[in-house]
Amino acid sequence: MEQSELIRKITAAFLTGDRWMLYLKGLGITMQVAVMAAVLGVIIGTVAAFMKISVRKNGKKTILAHIANIYIDIIRGTPSVLQVMIMYFAILASSKNGVLIAGLSFGINSGAYVAEIIRAGILAVDKGQTEAGRSLGLSNFQTMCSIVIPQAFKNVLPPLVNEFIVLLKETAIVGYVGLSDLTRVANQIASKTYDFFTPMIGAAVIYFVIIKILTKLLDRLERRMRRSDNR
Amino acid sequence: MIIVKELYKQFEENQVLRGVNYHIHPGEKIVVIGPSGSGKSTFLRCLNLLETPTGGEIWFDGQKINDPKVNIDEVRRHMGMVFQHFNLFNNLTIMNNITLAPVKLKLMTEEEAKENALKLLRRVGLEEKADAYPSSLSGGQKQRIAIVRSLAMNPKVMLFDEPTSALDPEMVGEVLEVMKELADSGMTMVVVTHEMGFAREVGTKVLFMDEGNIMEENTPAEFFSHPKSPRLQEFLSKVL
Repeated sequence: MEQSELIRKITAAFLTGDRWMLYLKGLGITMQVAVMAAVLGVIIGTVAAFMKISVRKNGKKTILAHIANIYIDIIRGTPSVLQVMIMYFAILASSKNGVLIAGLSFGINSGAYVAEIIRAGILAVDKGQTEAGRSLGLSNFQTMCSIVIPQAFKNVLPPLVNEFIVLLKETAIVGYVGLSDLTRVANQIASKTYDFFTPMIGAAVIYFVIIKILTKLLDRLERRMRRSDNR
Repeated sequence: MIIVKELYKQFEENQVLRGVNYHIHPGEKIVVIGPSGSGKSTFLRCLNLLETPTGGEIWFDGQKINDPKVNIDEVRRHMGMVFQHFNLFNNLTIMNNITLAPVKLKLMTEEEAKENALKLLRRVGLEEKADAYPSSLSGGQKQRIAIVRSLAMNPKVMLFDEPTSALDPEMVGEVLEVMKELADSGMTMVVVTHEMGFAREVGTKVLFMDEGNIMEENTPAEFFSHPKSPRLQEFLSKVL
């Protein structure tokens, strides 16, 4: 590729008609959907995790636990593209707010994975911690809040950030329901300029940088948490 | 104080306790010994319902406690428990380990609980560890703190589940010392242990458990010098 040719392509992909603004808008959509889904996912996931670990007095699973299991099974057993499309074209077809629907759909999707992360984090806390709390006369709820959850939090935070990273990239499929997220914007510009390579690389770099920043933050967080272990 | 009637406990297919009967009086120091798998830990853990009995009755202070209507959290406030693996709360400082339950259960104000905790810590010589986290303590220190944590609830009885079994040998003494002092102060104690010296010195009664039941019960002197059943004779010949 000649140098002038490269400059022409870059100009067409990013500068002509202030196209870089479109990427930013696309990124805005991507981030809105991802953040909304993450918040919703953590809320749903937390509830589902506690539903799933709930047991009756006789040691059997509760109805809530079965419901949580069915939810997690269905979400994990179907592609997220289909979930978004079903949400957009069928269940909430009357709504025109694509971002909201996508955020909702991804939130419900992410909740299933977050539920498993949180459940694993809670189960990883030594059973002796719970027994000690209960033996002092604390209720199950008090033991959970004061002892188990604070310890589970440390186990859960890294995989939770990881889930957010996956989520952020996964939102690239919202183009299927007509949202102009970062990936779709790149695609649209590509079909206008007949050059696919440059806009795609541009979008990829943006994803990469955002996720790199998140990873760095996660590293710092983990190091801080490890420090409190050795006090 | 604690009455156990026809206590059965089954895990899946495994019958661990087979109709245990026993009566623990106030001020007694009951030491339970026996081979592994004999059900002695399960017996102890049934006393405060950390294990739910599959049959029989447990009475504490005139109340049948393995009854669905009983608020077990209320009952457990009066029964301290010390575990083999200490189980100090890893996310809390030593001070907060000790004050958590009395404050959360609104038995003491935070100041009262702290004052009480410092007094107890002084008693076991660990007051300088108040602001440390459990991970920075030795096993012996952890177990002494665990005892203090239980005592902070002013229990009527203390249950010990092999309190020295996870300790390095040189730390066993410091924990037994605290337990002896506690015994001298008049505390009712039930101790599952392999420390025969402790059983002989501190116990008012020694129980030998085997195959899910109490095989033999006697004063320490008689228990060790004149064991009756062949199983106990064999067991003592191995451990002494």
